[in-house]
Amino acid sequence: MKKLIVAASLAIFAGGSAFAETKIGAIFDLTGGLNIYGIQQNNALELAVEQINAAGGVLGEPVTVVGYDAQSELTKYTQFTTTAILRDKVDVLFAGLTSSSREAIRPIVQANNTLYFYPSLYEGGACDKQTFVTGSSASQQLDVLIEWAIKKYGPKIYIMAPDYNFGTISAHWVHEYAKQYGGEVVGEDFLALTVTDYAPTIQKIQQSAPDFVVALPVGANQTGFLEQFAAAGLKEKMGVVSTNYGSGNQQVVVSPAAGAGLIASQGYFQVVDNPANAAFVAAWTAKYGSSEPIVSVAVDTWNAVHLWAAAVTKAGSTDIAAVTAALESGLSFDAPNGTVTIEPGSHHLRQNIYIVEGDANHSFKVVETFEGVAPAYENAKCDLIKDPTIATQFTPEGM
Amino acid sequence: MTLSQRLYRASAWLFPAIAVALALCLSFVMDPYLAFLGASWVIFGILGLSLDIVWGRGGFLSLGQTAFFGLGGYLGAIAAVNLAPVIGNTLLPTLPLAALFGGLCAGVLGALIFLARMGPLQATILSYTFTLLLWSLTQSLKFAVGKAVVGGDNGMSGIPGIVIGFGPHARALPPNGVFAVCVIVAALAYFATLALMRSTFGRVVDCIRLDIQKTELLGYDVRRVQVVNMAWAGAVAGLAGGLFALWSNYLNPSMFSVQEALLPPIHVLVGGLGTLAGPFVGALTIGGLSFWLGGGVAGGQTTLILGIVLVLLVLFLRNGILGAFDQLWRRFLPDPNAAARDAGEVRINVGDLDRIMREAEIQVGPAKTLSTDRVFKQFGGVIPVNNVSRSFAPGRPMALIGPNGAGKSSYLKTCVGVYQPEGGRVMIGDTDVTHAPIFRRVRLGMGVKNQKPQVFGALSVYDNLWTAAFARTRNKAKAADVAGRVLAMLGMTAQAAVEAQALSHGQQQWLDIGMVLCLAPRVVLLDEPAAGMTNEETRELSLLVRTLARHTTVVVVEHDMDFVRTLEGHVTVLHQGEVFTEGDIDSLRADERVLDIYLGRRQHV
Amino acid sequence: MAPDFLATVLLSSLSSAAILLIATIGLAVVFGLMGVINLAHGEFLMIGAYTALTVTQAGVPYVLSIPVAVAVTMAIGALVEVLVISRLYGRIFDTMLATWGISIAFYQLAVLTFGTVSPGIGMPQISVQIGAYSLAVYPLLMNGVALAMLGFVYLLMTRSVYGMKARASIQVPEMARAIGISSARVNTMTFALGCGLAGFAGAVLLPIVPATPSMGFAFVIKAFLTVVVAGPVTLTGSALAALGLGGGASVTASFLTSVAGDAFFFVATALLLWRYPLGISARWRRKL
Repeated sequence: MKKLIVAASLAIFAGGSAFAETKIGAIFDLTGGLNIYGIQQNNALELAVEQINAAGGVLGEPVTVVGYDAQSELTKYTQFTTTAILRDKVDVLFAGLTSSSREAIRPIVQANNTLYFYPSLYEGGACDKQTFVTGSSASQQLDVLIEWAIKKYGPKIYIMAPDYNFGTISAHWVHEYAKQYGGEVVGEDFLALTVTDYAPTIQKIQQSAPDFVVALPVGANQTGFLEQFAAAGLKEKMGVVSTNYGSGNQQVVVSPAAGAGLIASQGYFQVVDNPANAAFVAAWTAKYGSSEPIVSVAVDTWNAVHLWAAAVTKAGSTDIAAVTAALESGLSFDAPNGTVTIEPGSHHLRQNIYIVEGDANHSFKVVETFEGVAPAYENAKCDLIKDPTIATQFTPEGM
Repeated sequence: MTLSQRLYRASAWLFPAIAVALALCLSFVMDPYLAFLGASWVIFGILGLSLDIVWGRGGFLSLGQTAFFGLGGYLGAIAAVNLAPVIGNTLLPTLPLAALFGGLCAGVLGALIFLARMGPLQATILSYTFTLLLWSLTQSLKFAVGKAVVGGDNGMSGIPGIVIGFGPHARALPPNGVFAVCVIVAALAYFATLALMRSTFGRVVDCIRLDIQKTELLGYDVRRVQVVNMAWAGAVAGLAGGLFALWSNYLNPSMFSVQEALLPPIHVLVGGLGTLAGPFVGALTIGGLSFWLGGGVAGGQTTLILGIVLVLLVLFLRNGILGAFDQLWRRFLPDPNAAARDAGEVRINVGDLDRIMREAEIQVGPAKTLSTDRVFKQFGGVIPVNNVSRSFAPGRPMALIGPNGAGKSSYLKTCVGVYQPEGGRVMIGDTDVTHAPIFRRVRLGMGVKNQKPQVFGALSVYDNLWTAAFARTRNKAKAADVAGRVLAMLGMTAQAAVEAQALSHGQQQWLDIGMVLCLAPRVVLLDEPAAGMTNEETRELSLLVRTLARHTTVVVVEHDMDFVRTLEGHVTVLHQGEVFTEGDIDSLRADERVLDIYLGRRQHV
Repeated sequence: MAPDFLATVLLSSLSSAAILLIATIGLAVVFGLMGVINLAHGEFLMIGAYTALTVTQAGVPYVLSIPVAVAVTMAIGALVEVLVISRLYGRIFDTMLATWGISIAFYQLAVLTFGTVSPGIGMPQISVQIGAYSLAVYPLLMNGVALAMLGFVYLLMTRSVYGMKARASIQVPEMARAIGISSARVNTMTFALGCGLAGFAGAVLLPIVPATPSMGFAFVIKAFLTVVVAGPVTLTGSALAALGLGGGASVTASFLTSVAGDAFFFVATALLLWRYPLGISARWRRKL
């Protein structure tokens, strides 16, 4: 009993100041192997908050950011999510890059009923009342990409994927869409993340003689695949498409010889041409310079902050129920990657998917834009309006 | 005994007990957030304890402790997810299962390492590889057990918290309760380990770390002890893993990552290697430091700092916080090794020795012969032992001589079991021991004294003898009796409490011989026992060997001819791996051919 | 089985083994001559790669960047030996822990210095056609590079004064000391040589594996196991182990899956260690 009183009094004491301002928590990998993404996510968040505060903040108050560096270590996500909620009492959390970081965060935000935005592309299927996803899901990207690639190159597909959730689930969708659009998967190879020697894979690709290869290299080691593929002289014989090439600026790492002509599809590339993106890139360059191209997760974070601010303004409060209701009202926003709209049931975004082609200058040019692509799989599986108690990650049958 | 001395003796349980009581009191009043973090530090303390068991005590640096931690955690979590809705309580299904699984996995890896007698370096690398292998395997490992979904890199979520109530309505504990439970579990793990390490099992574990060959020469099955110790450490790691699963409600392959594997060695080194309590001190220190450094956006270089800290620790703070404290305290205590300075010359009391050997004969039977039949050993093109057939019987000392490279030492090692012969047989009494491991030969009555003194330096003189006696008697009281009498025979009663490493070289030789006597050997093998001894010591040694030979078979390998002469025994001359000739020393001295090979004259070289 | 497929599999598996050997020789030299496993080996490889990359970006031809990489890694290696390793002589666990700490610190320093993205230099776009299959030429060149490295180390050990001293120190340490060989000097040189070979490997493999802070990690697991399986005989042992393990894994991966290739590597390692707990060369009489 005594314990409860003490805990309660501590809570009141600590919570006393929380009403005075709007606090948002940001947990990203500012150091360690994943900081290529984490720094840009954090930069985008800072930039968005700066802009919002310059325009008067939300509900007439400036927004303060409580930032944490997860150091590319998963245990830090558990620790800092708890810190943000228990100690710093944030109103909303923007956090995570990898699927595992999201899965570490979700149980804690569910238990404490805290609003959470996950700003990254991923394999899809995450579904619960507290979580909103602003990146594109694997099926969202692959649907248009596979249809486009079959038309462009032919029906025979080879899949090269990393052997973990993102890779295997993406491979599943390639199979699905191949069936749907008249293609055929003639071979696949799943590779450990530490593989550096792709000679066996390259032989198997030649043996199956596909029209195009779906390559989903993760991490810098796996970009070695593209070098070895090009050096074996296979680029002239078949196409290479990817849903994650470019998401970590891989086009900067690979040599022009290997990078030119590669096809990638994502929700955002810096080369996207629209007024919102022009303004965004200008503001970014002014603050952070232009040494590194802006990656899609940065824009996902930017969109997440703005969507949240719009929802708070609409709701007139930072109360989670009110903000969630506002977000679920089909909120829409003119983002750097075109108009994005929250799907009320699945908490995912309807957004543009761009197909781009790598050039010889470590950059891309847009080949085709698919407007307002729905997260079809998530919409079909996850309806949080109908059943707000769902808290799971849906995966395709048999995965 | 002063209060300080008494406190020092009790420190291994007294201070931890105080710390546990203090932590439990604190758990009622501390900030929930601090309790949440503190619980994780305690859990990492348990993980560090598991490393201290295999490394600080067992002497094997395992980089696989986080693997057992993770494996235990995963299995415990699977049990918790499935059983919590039924029975409510999550501790009962999770922790024992996690500990069992961690222990099982460690036991299997330990069996692979120790039964194959891998080198220490190979063993460490293998344990590291095991961890890294799990790291990459679990990233793509997906399966479901009941309600529990092991989801590859996405991990396993929905693990219930710590629930101590029963029934479907029991609720998970708040952070302060979790902290208290972690402290209690840590206390149980610590005190159970402490008890184990203070038992005879723990004594053997210590001996293995200090001198594994000597331990086996006392007749202990070192490999079995090492595997069991590793399994116990794995169980402690698994226990920590189960607790971690309930604490974090989420598990992921990153439990097997390099960053995670880095933590236990750091915690152990900071706290103090081999102290058992040290890892907790280390985890608390590093946890607090790491939290302070990584708390904000500004200073997120935890990994870099920990890497450098590890290097600095290895270089400058070998004994850790508790070790440094121990050294400081000991400076104010009376020196237990002071008596070493008063040690006089050893005088063998023939009457005592006769009595000890007669009793041994009553207890373990008559002396046995040692015989080899056409035993053959080859290294590439070199044949150090070439079809040697020999039988050694009790009655008088049997000496084995020969020039350098004659194969004396190789022949002895083949008899002891260090080398496996390619052909022929080795018999102790009527038992064929050609392929028996060393400890089994010792249990059949073989006693071995190598050229260099082999004593357990960190143990007291008495404990050295007791450990040897216990290997044979398997009875604490009987071992104490035997050790006491050998101690008296050596005239070292005043030095009973002295650490063996504080003795002079000659005294260590006598202690080593004393340990062999404690085994009541039926066959004694002495490898150049007189090397490095003074003339007086050599005389006593000769007396001892002659007395011993009246009761048991004694084989002496020696090239000091004067010493061999004093033994008045039978002499066998080895040359180029073969028996050259034999007889008593005077006839051999008159043999021109023997002189030839010793002097390297043409005819026989 | 088509003969052209078989031929490409054999050729590329040979290159896989050669790449593994290139990445391993430095580690094997240090292990064979000092009895120490350098857990920071992978990071020295990474430093070599980054040095070569930086120098190439500054406009120096790639081929000339390789000696620079070797010099830089040798210097850092010598420094590490003098500052850390030499103080831990005879304490092999502590040495391993210290090199482990160094490896993590170097990794993090690389992240801080270079970020996680640097441009690659690309592989020469030359390929050969065997039947219906084409093979990149650069990995095939690695067979020659591996042989050259073996030859270099062999000559260094048998023909140079340093090599004589190093072998003397390992074979008869008391005698070596007695005739005035300073084992500290020899050890510094050996460690620097091992690190230099790692730097060479990083530089020469740069076209195949882009420079990233974590690139060493991809190599070290297999390199550690290769060295441990090889045992104390530096050259012959590790060449044989790399050929058997690396080549075998690559052949397995070509016919089955990548995962099966890895499984082959690890299972073969476990079995070999069970049979030869101190490495396959522990009982050999030859010493190189």
